[in-house]
Amino acid sequence: MAFYDRMMSIDRRIIFLSVGLAVAIPIIVPLGFPVQVSEETRSFYREMAALKPGDTILLSFDYEGDVMAELNPMAVAVLRHAFSRDIKVVAITTYAGGTGIAERLLTEAAARYGKTYGIDYVFLGYNPDWSGTMLRLGESFKATYPTDQYGKSTYEIPIMQNVETYRDIALVVSISGSALSEYWAIWAGGRYGAKVISGNTAIQAILIYPYYKAGQIPGFLGGLKGAAEYEKLIDEPGMGIRGMDAQSVAHALMLAFIIVGNVGYFFSRRAQARQSK
Amino acid sequence: MEVTHDAGIWVAGILTLAIFSFLYKDNPFYKFAEHLLVGVSAGYYLVQYFFSAAYKKLWVPVVQQGNPILIVGGILGILMFTRLFRKTEWISRYPVAFYIAAWAGYVIPSYIQVRILQQAQATMFNPRGMGLGEIVSASVLMVGVATTLIYFYFSAEHKGPLKTISKVGITFLMIGFGATFGYNVMGRISLLIGRFQFLFTDWLGIVH
Repeated sequence: MAFYDRMMSIDRRIIFLSVGLAVAIPIIVPLGFPVQVSEETRSFYREMAALKPGDTILLSFDYEGDVMAELNPMAVAVLRHAFSRDIKVVAITTYAGGTGIAERLLTEAAARYGKTYGIDYVFLGYNPDWSGTMLRLGESFKATYPTDQYGKSTYEIPIMQNVETYRDIALVVSISGSALSEYWAIWAGGRYGAKVISGNTAIQAILIYPYYKAGQIPGFLGGLKGAAEYEKLIDEPGMGIRGMDAQSVAHALMLAFIIVGNVGYFFSRRAQARQSK
Repeated sequence: MEVTHDAGIWVAGILTLAIFSFLYKDNPFYKFAEHLLVGVSAGYYLVQYFFSAAYKKLWVPVVQQGNPILIVGGILGILMFTRLFRKTEWISRYPVAFYIAAWAGYVIPSYIQVRILQQAQATMFNPRGMGLGEIVSASVLMVGVATTLIYFYFSAEHKGPLKTISKVGITFLMIGFGATFGYNVMGRISLLIGRFQFLFTDWLGIVH
């Protein structure tokens, strides 16, 4: 087999092992690569920083366990930023599988900042039919969620006394592993005029740019990098920043594999051209 | 190194390795972990959906709070199950028709407003008061949108100026696909990072 053929047919297990090592080693031995903050993240931060103590945000956990590696760091950072500035949080999830994730992150962040359930934050839980939920919240939060996740009437929960519609919500924050951030912009933003910002998986982030450019989502976090950038801005290093060394090394490796494959392809084409002459 | 004594984390760690073993080749450990995931997920979602929809949204309001109008929705929901039998399958078209009609009514005005009008508006700009960088950026955006739309214009043969313009459009599309691929790689690597962080931090205690 010619060298260029070998370059184009590297055993996939070698590639998997290389990527595994490229991710594992920087996690065990951090390299401390700098994190540059993008304008999208700065805009997200500005929207959060513009909130005043006592304001209420709606934090929607629009994801499940499959993408929590990317989105948990964002949700944690948003909660820390909000609680550290005495911003109240009304949390929901639009995914049945998001319930456990949201509960754990809310409880941990609240314990860290000494926040009280029902006064500083509330978890309304999962409501079937996300589109109906988004629309109905524009008419009445309490009618949409008559009870919280634990069965307590929302009419009796102190934080809910001042929350009736989106008008009482300073900011909607959607942490999403699907297109739901777009739907928050369409339903809550387009129909009810709520301000929506989002944290998205890397795959989803590319689809948020048109909304960002149009000002419909005035700030967003894209993938683990977005989470790391936001952690840097709020000075709360977490899972995002810790993962960025591995991310950079793995990307460099992927780039190397792409170059090797393309060089091999170039030489094989040249060899084929020579043979045909 | 402080290996955890939490049995749940041990189970999660071993199952993670079982799933990773597929990268070498298919094997019984992978199959076991895969089937376990499917079974546990099915059970979890069945309980979640029953509790949050059938119980909280139908049983409680109708039986405990005396709100009979929701019975209509409940009946429509039950009619969906007629799809399971060939003879009664046709009945399920009624709840489906109801759902599609309501959905279209909700969606169409908002979509046109948010996804077409506002986004088309965002591609237009007034250069007065804008910096050079902003003008270049806005121009690129406008040219990209226009040429890409022309690429998808199939009512005339793409030759002459139309061919040149549509080639520019496809160049923008390729750049978009490249960016999507880059983000895809980042997303997949992030998931791997998440699992490794779990293995090294929560399970094996190598990293703190």
